[in-house]
Amino acid sequence: MTLFERMFGKKKESAGNAKARLKVMLATERADCHIPYLEDLKREILEVVQKYTGSSSDVNIKTEKNDDVDMLELEISLGKN
Amino acid sequence: MAEVITVTSGKGGVGKSTLSANLAVGLAEAGKKVVAVDFDIGLRNLDMILGLENRIVYDVIDVMEGRCNLSQALINDKRSKSLYFLPASQTSDKDVLNKEKVAELVAALKKEFDFIILDSPAGIESGFEHSIFLADRAIVVSTPDVSAVRDADRVIGIIDAKSQKAKDGEEVQKHVVINRLRPDMVESGSMLSVEDVLSILALPLIGVIPDDEKIITSTNDGEPIFYDKNSQAAEAYRRITKRVLGEEVSFLDLTAKKGFFKRLFG
Repeated sequence: MTLFERMFGKKKESAGNAKARLKVMLATERADCHIPYLEDLKREILEVVQKYTGSSSDVNIKTEKNDDVDMLELEISLGKN
Repeated sequence: MAEVITVTSGKGGVGKSTLSANLAVGLAEAGKKVVAVDFDIGLRNLDMILGLENRIVYDVIDVMEGRCNLSQALINDKRSKSLYFLPASQTSDKDVLNKEKVAELVAALKKEFDFIILDSPAGIESGFEHSIFLADRAIVVSTPDVSAVRDADRVIGIIDAKSQKAKDGEEVQKHVVINRLRPDMVESGSMLSVEDVLSILALPLIGVIPDDEKIITSTNDGEPIFYDKNSQAAEAYRRITKRVLGEEVSFLDLTAKKGFFKRLFG
């Protein structure tokens, strides 16, 4: 961000938004190779969340590999219904 | 009577999914019950344009294979409450669709919705065939460039051959949308004009959408541009929606805005 943008503020940056959304999507889709059950896991988590909150909740899953341990980062936003 | 509208193009990347999303939002905002179905099996994208990618539990193939009910797979839109979305499956097996199952699905959707928008994949293979098979209306999207127009023409030529309606002796309504038009380039003679494209494709025009940077940012955000009151492209989508609903609306005035120097000396 340039000094000018920092001083005067800038409209919400949609490119950053796009990058974040893509990263989350692709991480799940790519991780499918080494975590074969990830897609099903995400689906079932979402199912449970939606059972309690209605259909307007989002589930973001990020995966990370630390040495030999696969990590999952879950972000659930409970939408208003 | 429910209407099935297939959005198709031949060439990829000309704006099929963006049109599908915005037309679906438009019809829903007009009070219709609408479902948008992503038929691009293996290359799901409409979910991100609608901003619904993190709510997908089941997809269209799950419904067809009986792994879930239709109502379990339908995702309600964030803003337009009479809009529902049915995502494509991410399987790499393109041959999972078959005619009987597509027919069954469309019949089930027709009972629930006023409009069924089928977002067709690029190309003229089986995915395209399945999406055009039960269409009442086909909207062919093209950009004003030689490859898109050529592919659009190819698609127009095979719509009837793949359509059940045409087989039954009825007519599939066909229209053209010209997307990403640059009025300044048309005026300087460096881009095909609307008239040029229409004279080649010989189909009635249902919309001209100007090139608009806001399309990119709205896709970044997963918010269809339709809601943007200040965008010319959004206005173009609003007019397309009205025409689909049978209203007569004039076309947007897309003559190039003259710059300062041009106004002085042009």
